[in-house]
Amino acid sequence: MNGKAMMKGKRMLIMALILVMGMLSACTSDSSSGDGKEEGKKKSGGADGEIAGELEIQYFVGGYGDGWWKSVIEGFKEKYPNVEIVEHAGPDINTEMKTRWISNNPPDVVYIDGNGSSETQMISDGQLMDLSDWAKALKLEDGSPLLESFISPAEELDGGAIYTLPLVFDTWGVWYDNAWFQEKGWEAPKDFDSWLASMKQIKKDTGIAPFITTGQYPQYFQRGVLNPAFAAAGGEELLNDLSDGVVEAWESEEVMEVMKKVEAMVDAGMVDKGFAARSHTQTQMNFIMHENAYIPVGFWLPTEMKADTPEDFEYGFMPTPMNDDGDAMALVPDIRPVAIAKEAENPEAAKAFVEYLFTEENAQKFAESTGAIMNLKNVDLSKNEQVPEFLKGINDMINNPGSIEIYNRNTPEGKDQKISIEMTDELHVQIVELLMGRIDAEKFVQTMRDKAKELRN
Amino acid sequence: MVQSKTQKHLFLAFCLLPTFILFLVFTVYPAVNGLYLSFFEWSGTSAVKDFIGLEHYKKLFNDSVILKSIFNDYFFVFTKVIGIMILSLFFAVALTQLRIKEAPFYRVVFFFPNIMSVVVIGILWQFIFDPDIGLINGLLTAIGLESWTRPWLGSMEWALPSLVLPAVWAGIGLFMLLLMGGIMNVSKSLYESAEIDGASEWQQFWNITVPLIWPQIKTSIIYIVITSLNGSFVIVQIMTNGGPGNATEVMGSYLYEKAFEDFQFGYGAAIGVLILAVSLVTVLILQYILKREKVEY
Repeated sequence: MNGKAMMKGKRMLIMALILVMGMLSACTSDSSSGDGKEEGKKKSGGADGEIAGELEIQYFVGGYGDGWWKSVIEGFKEKYPNVEIVEHAGPDINTEMKTRWISNNPPDVVYIDGNGSSETQMISDGQLMDLSDWAKALKLEDGSPLLESFISPAEELDGGAIYTLPLVFDTWGVWYDNAWFQEKGWEAPKDFDSWLASMKQIKKDTGIAPFITTGQYPQYFQRGVLNPAFAAAGGEELLNDLSDGVVEAWESEEVMEVMKKVEAMVDAGMVDKGFAARSHTQTQMNFIMHENAYIPVGFWLPTEMKADTPEDFEYGFMPTPMNDDGDAMALVPDIRPVAIAKEAENPEAAKAFVEYLFTEENAQKFAESTGAIMNLKNVDLSKNEQVPEFLKGINDMINNPGSIEIYNRNTPEGKDQKISIEMTDELHVQIVELLMGRIDAEKFVQTMRDKAKELRN
Repeated sequence: MVQSKTQKHLFLAFCLLPTFILFLVFTVYPAVNGLYLSFFEWSGTSAVKDFIGLEHYKKLFNDSVILKSIFNDYFFVFTKVIGIMILSLFFAVALTQLRIKEAPFYRVVFFFPNIMSVVVIGILWQFIFDPDIGLINGLLTAIGLESWTRPWLGSMEWALPSLVLPAVWAGIGLFMLLLMGGIMNVSKSLYESAEIDGASEWQQFWNITVPLIWPQIKTSIIYIVITSLNGSFVIVQIMTNGGPGNATEVMGSYLYEKAFEDFQFGYGAAIGVLILAVSLVTVLILQYILKREKVEY
């Protein structure tokens, strides 16, 4: 090798060395700034318990949009000008914030909703602050204790600990087009017999399969039809025991009666044959295009389908009519809670923010912008012109019980938590099999009972 | 001379070092970490991890959905290999050896699905399979075969075969180009000599084209197998979400369900290790089966 070539080789070597060192240093600086500890140091409350400093909020943006959160945050800023709010929001926010929670550097306040979030899991992992003592002392503007003002009560776990406050009262039920029903002279049913009769009438008049649900996400049928049916048949205890895989519950007569009702719907050809391949949005499109007449979905349906809903379409909502004649209709709320992280950097501001959420004004705004209701009793929506009619009706029903009963699905604890997940997975598979007509009610119940036995053993 | 060789090796080592570091960080570390996590009970959302040893692997052996997923994965592998290889070979030969004027246009047409996102492909084919407004049921009805129409993606029997169609459609272009490259490198004199000797076109294809492009065929098959075992997940997730029931569940979609929907990240990691093991074993077996002496004429 001549001198020139050696020089060239050395120069190349040095360049390669610089490149490698540069990459290594880039990696080092990245990892030191990525742990979020520096960020955390900025957050703190003011002196003498003053509500101040940085407050981080994580909220999921789904079918309800983010309009309500934006207005609440604005209102809070006006009330507490020394608090600087950092919002972490979006449809994938639970995934985006996962590393913050794993590294014990979570935001202060979290609204638990959407894919990738689980209240049960967060409690089980010890990520949420015990709010019991603080929440027990909270009062609404009219002086009534907050814990006594919820439609669906705050859950007490571990013998009385409260980790989350129930913010959004979402519930599943069955939807129909009220305008179409009036035009055709069809009546909204009140129990299972009248529901089946109504479906038969609709099929006779139009030739469509009246009922649709999404086969890609069988939880829509589970939460929208089966859970209210189990609750109507056997109350809260049966509902919770079935989900937790209690074998005796799956052997009860009530369960067989419920499943026989579903079988009757399938046998009478009421379920859309294409349901199994359809996603939730596809089924919702079919519903608003009058390809089907009934669909089980939560309160968010009108907001989610707003852009596609025809002008003459009028959303009608009822608690799923799986109850027997003379029995009350059952509602099983799907509560979306709010919580404070156990490792919150600014717990004082976090508590102030959570307390601020539960006001009459915010409850009214919530109903206006989301089409759902906040989990507060006695909020009079009847005079609010921005609130859709179906919501006023359901709000009245909830606040004046009689024709409907509200049943709660409790958060499973300990071993039940894992069993519940496995039972739900099996239930989803069997729901599709049953609705496709591949198995009957007996086989459905037998499979679920066997699964419960296997898990309990 | 010895010194210059050392310097050369040193220089090469330094040049390779960045790639090697990236390989360690983004390939080896996640794989080893996945294996490590599979020994823990972990939700994937908190710092709390409980060591449980081989429990997840014991559970894997008793999980009926896993067996179904492995079967479905191999269904994808076999049907995709056969479908893509036959069609891409056919089109590659047709576009190189037959004198088709529009060959460049067809090359673009066949390659087009490769530049489309899998999400778009999935949604497009969902419409094609739609039981009410879909192209397939529409065509069947138009030609008087209405009794053959069905909810393709909602049928326990037909959902899985239906998913293979878009996967094959989307895969042909890339492998067609790869095989075309091989065919174009075969000396024309070989075909001329074979023609003089009276060999038919089929004999020319079987005795000249296939042996000489065997390296490309082998690479294509292995690549299809690996991408099927790791990549069928996306098309499944978009078109059927593993359903109806578990009819189209593949190992990837089951991993996703367990890790990200059921918060069983440790079990998901164990499924990930299984996917790696199944892929490695399959590729090693394939390497052995496809081993062939290099042919030169």
